[in-house]
Amino acid sequence: MELAVDRQRTGVQPPRVDARALPLHLDVQLFSSGLGAGITRPPGCHVAAQQLINTPRLLPAWQPNWGPVKSIGVSFPECPVAESPTTDSFGSNLDGAFDVPEPGPQASPHAKSLSRGRARNKTTRISVPTDALSITDRLFYLLQPPIETLLSGQELVMPFEPFPFQYHGIAWLFSQGSALLADEMGLGKTMQAISALRLLMRAGQIRSVLLVCPKPLITNWQRELQMWAEEIPVVAIEGPSARRRMLWEMPNVPVKVANYELLVRDLEMIGEDDFPAFDLLILDEAQRIKNRESRTNQAAHSLKRHRSWALTGTPIENRPSEFVSLLEFLGAVPDHSVTDIRQLNRLANKYVLRRTKDRVLKDLPPRLDREELLELTPAQQTAYVTAEQEGIVRLDELGESITIQHVFELVLRLKQICNYDPLTGQSCKMDRLAAEIEEISDSGGKAILFSQWTKSLDWMNQKLQHFRPLIYHGAVPSSRRDAVLERFRRDPDCPLLLMSYGVGAVGLNLQFAGYVFLYDRWWNPAVEDQAINRAHRIGQQNPVLVTKFICRNTIEERIDKVLQQKRELFQAVLGDSEMSNASLSLDAQDIFGLFELKAGHGDQLRSITPPSIENG
Amino acid sequence: MNGPAVNSRAFRIGFLASLETDDGAFVAGLLVTNRYGRPLEFQCTSPVRPTHAQQLLYGETLRPFLLGELMGRALLDRLGSPPDLLVTDNDHILDLRHHIAIPMARVEPQADDSTGPTTAPPLGRVRMGRRILSIHSAHETDIAALHHGATQVTADADLQEPIERVRQALAETLQGQQSGNPSGTRS
Repeated sequence: MELAVDRQRTGVQPPRVDARALPLHLDVQLFSSGLGAGITRPPGCHVAAQQLINTPRLLPAWQPNWGPVKSIGVSFPECPVAESPTTDSFGSNLDGAFDVPEPGPQASPHAKSLSRGRARNKTTRISVPTDALSITDRLFYLLQPPIETLLSGQELVMPFEPFPFQYHGIAWLFSQGSALLADEMGLGKTMQAISALRLLMRAGQIRSVLLVCPKPLITNWQRELQMWAEEIPVVAIEGPSARRRMLWEMPNVPVKVANYELLVRDLEMIGEDDFPAFDLLILDEAQRIKNRESRTNQAAHSLKRHRSWALTGTPIENRPSEFVSLLEFLGAVPDHSVTDIRQLNRLANKYVLRRTKDRVLKDLPPRLDREELLELTPAQQTAYVTAEQEGIVRLDELGESITIQHVFELVLRLKQICNYDPLTGQSCKMDRLAAEIEEISDSGGKAILFSQWTKSLDWMNQKLQHFRPLIYHGAVPSSRRDAVLERFRRDPDCPLLLMSYGVGAVGLNLQFAGYVFLYDRWWNPAVEDQAINRAHRIGQQNPVLVTKFICRNTIEERIDKVLQQKRELFQAVLGDSEMSNASLSLDAQDIFGLFELKAGHGDQLRSITPPSIENG
Repeated sequence: MNGPAVNSRAFRIGFLASLETDDGAFVAGLLVTNRYGRPLEFQCTSPVRPTHAQQLLYGETLRPFLLGELMGRALLDRLGSPPDLLVTDNDHILDLRHHIAIPMARVEPQADDSTGPTTAPPLGRVRMGRRILSIHSAHETDIAALHHGATQVTADADLQEPIERVRQALAETLQGQQSGNPSGTRS
């Protein structure tokens, strides 16, 4: 329907309405939708497998950017690992499936005794040397295992368990490029040095070692190296020059042993430039280079090496300058340095390791010293008084021309008379000695006797034949010396060994002897101590009785007093004392002081002393 | 002279440890030794300090991720020669095992007594030297590597000790870096 309305009321025509009819018919079409069947059909159910991830991701898919991780790397020198021939695997407890016997590789009996004797929790770490500045150098030392671990493993079988202080010494040497091991005699400097060089070789730090020692100690070092580092090939430099040259250049022998005299000769023969360089140079009894001007000192200095170790129980025999000489060898001070006691103390703290028996060997049987003050026999007394009076008169007559040699000759003469009267053979010392040896022999003990003179020793040898004494001094060929010591060790019928200070005082292990006699006195107490310590050292089971024969009212008594005063110097340099005196042994001043010498005539007499002459 | 036989390639053990600095940074170190504890190679990271956002995002998983997946794996990647067994005393580091193919074990915290093994270790644990080691629970096959390792180390070996060495070395490197000595650092 359509409706039109004209709303204009103001128009001409009235509004008109038109109406029109429209049809209401709508077309309807029907289609089949299928809805009815869907309503009546039951719903279907389908199952599909879905793979789950193994590890649920707890992190968001987005990850923060961490950036690259920086690192520092240290590689250790490639070194072979020595496996013991007897190494075997040891069982573990396999989930408790079975009991396991004593764990661990099949160690040698020595190694087993080693681990038994050691407190397991006790470890000795290698310290970082003060001159290791770079982080890689410091890490090298920090990451080394404890010494006990190295030594107790199958790599390094040791014949005996080291003492804790020896572990410390080994660790100290290991980390020292320059070191003076100054342990008191008998504390095992040899063993510590060998073990440290052995570890350095295993760590790939050294490949060639030169060990220089006094000639009589060559065989001793060979024996010790065999005992403590049996896997390291060793050669002793000896024989004709052509052979020695060949030995110096011999490859694949990492340790060479030479004596001081040969070193000097061969260095001249081969020449410094052509002489082989060594990773490690060890000077045993390093006091041999105490004299800065000696050829031995200069030879040792000129050797090309990376590490320098000096071993000596007496870094100062006479005066602090000897210690400075050792420091020069170590490179601790420039050559020809002048240092005071305070500086030496400071240097000692850095470069010197010294332990004494009383501090580290609480269990070592004590050393009992006794001074036997004896009266000269009548014949000795007569000879002594005559010699002394004549000698002093002669010295007085020399006046200003007197030298140390003149006084020295008199001292020696008087000391010899104290030993025995050359005319009659009377000797208060021999009388006492014979009685002592009788008792020692009866009790199955063994005694060592030291004298300054081979002549006195030979004389005693004759006098004491019924005790079958053995003799060991410079006149005994080197090839026979080991046999002498071995017989003394083994033969129960040989209770007495007669030794000279010069040959017998150093490097020998005679701890089976319980008695030491100092028939006459050496010029400085350090050498006497070295001699005594042949017996009073590690391994000694019994107290060591040390008898010093001193003839009353003689030069010996005066020497003894001076020596007593001199002992303190050692502590002055290596200890805390402020003492700055200069000599441990008798120097010229001391020797002159043994006599009251005057020069002049009548009322013009005046005391005389030498200028600053040193007694070498 | 009859010397012992020489074998230059033998069982290697890696010891992985970490330190946390006072300011919240982490450093990790990896020491590879032979079966006697002798060092062969060492790697350590420079300090890594997670941001606050990272701490929030990672939550409890921060340390396993940081010490294991991030730092531990980086150290392993830089080794010249990988170890046969990786040992740690840190549970977080042990999770590194998820990301590497090398067997790992953790040193049990309590020290073994010094008289030797008198009792069997519990299931899943193996005695190596003087210590008891355990494996990651998700990697049971590692037990075989531990049994093999037990035949390689000495009876009195202390497998905690090298870990302490690593920590000492980490402290040393931290000290060096604080004093401005970056020598040897590489990225």
